[in-house]
Amino acid sequence: MIRFTISCLLIILLVFQGMAMSLLPAKIAYSELLMTPHWVLCFVLIIAIFFDKDDTYHCVWYGMIFGLLIDVVYTGVLGVYMVTYTIVAYVIHGVHKWVHETFFVSLLLAMAGVGLADAVLYIIYSFVQITEMPWWNYIVLRLVPTILANVVFFVFLYPLMKNRVERWSDMWKST
Amino acid sequence: MPSLFRRKRLMTVLIGFIILVALIGFSMRDRSELSVPEKFLQDSVGWVQTVFLAPVQLFDDSYQNIQKMLNVYDQNEVLKTRLDEYKGLIQENQQLQKDNEELRAALDKTESLRDYTPIQSTVIARSSDRWFEQMTINKGEEHGVEKDMAVITSEGMVGKIISAGSFHSTVQLLSGFDESNKISSWVVREDEENAFGLIEGYDSESGRLLLEGISLDEELEEGDTVISSGLGGVFPSDLRIGTVDEVENDQSGLTKTAYVEPFADLFDISHVIVVDRDVQSANDEEEEEEEEEGEGQ
Repeated sequence: MIRFTISCLLIILLVFQGMAMSLLPAKIAYSELLMTPHWVLCFVLIIAIFFDKDDTYHCVWYGMIFGLLIDVVYTGVLGVYMVTYTIVAYVIHGVHKWVHETFFVSLLLAMAGVGLADAVLYIIYSFVQITEMPWWNYIVLRLVPTILANVVFFVFLYPLMKNRVERWSDMWKST
Repeated sequence: MPSLFRRKRLMTVLIGFIILVALIGFSMRDRSELSVPEKFLQDSVGWVQTVFLAPVQLFDDSYQNIQKMLNVYDQNEVLKTRLDEYKGLIQENQQLQKDNEELRAALDKTESLRDYTPIQSTVIARSSDRWFEQMTINKGEEHGVEKDMAVITSEGMVGKIISAGSFHSTVQLLSGFDESNKISSWVVREDEENAFGLIEGYDSESGRLLLEGISLDEELEEGDTVISSGLGGVFPSDLRIGTVDEVENDQSGLTKTAYVEPFADLFDISHVIVVDRDVQSANDEEEEEEEEEGEGQ
């Protein structure tokens, strides 16, 4: 049941990620800055931080499955988002064992996660020549705005989901 | 057993890398059709998108309606003055159309490159990654959409279909065009013959299309209209693309390059028309012949 709820929420975020691009005013969504919503990743990170215990790896599987969905639905180049989200979920899962989960720590983890994911995407896409942006342009035009935009989203998501996800985590353990 | 654990992790990384390369290789090659699981996923997400889009669209539409209502009066005044001009035009147009049909009948040539069947559809999402200038529409193979068909709005051309699922398909926007998808086009000038050129890319800095390969002795003026020529094989002719904005000599100095401002707004698109050309392209006919031969054998 919990798995089903989490998957539904992730699907909804995935859908809104694409709808945001067509419904937000063109001035915001299509300015010089290439802001990219990584909302699915934000939620996967929340699962990594608050749902997973040290020995469970749900976030990695969610990252893999929904990364692949993003590949199929939004880009058409398979495997890139899948591998990226898997790596990032694994790394953040590894790091969060060593820190205490306060608001600021999870915000920092989310920033690191989104930044890492976008950088890996840039590296893979420049290898297969989908983007030919020089890296300094990439950092100014895409990496920084993307991190900021997603941090704003994470700040909205955090109070909504934190307690709920922790409760699910306890329920999961007791069953 | 730490060594075993480390070995397992190494194996996972290696297998992951192999899967990544294999998947990218599989999806980057020039595919004529999506694989079945991809179609299934695209369609299922498409349905969910449609469900969520309905209430959002309603809100968006009513907001736009209110905005439009505020300047209805001014528009009405302008349109009334235009209406009289158009009355004359319509008559002239009807006359010309009749002439055209008669002449075609006389020539025994009824099909024209210009004719197409429109497939109306709604945009349900855009790619969340801005490096992919793509959007999803709610019509697919079941409605007659095929790969490489042109996609237009009422203003002008916006792109072409890059992959078609059963009920949804993906559109590549003009802003994502590169050398692998050229559009053969004509520049329409007053009192002169059309000049030929190929749309070969998009200059993302200025937001204009690159029209290349125009011969040096053609004089283009700012404001000339660019339309598709229909000679490329897939698109019908006379689709409006844009206006010439700036002309400069090519790097090699053998041809001219024109910057073309697209008619359509590539960012704010909600309804599009997929263009199904009536005249079959040479490739299709060949394929069909081959199929028939294959069946015969």
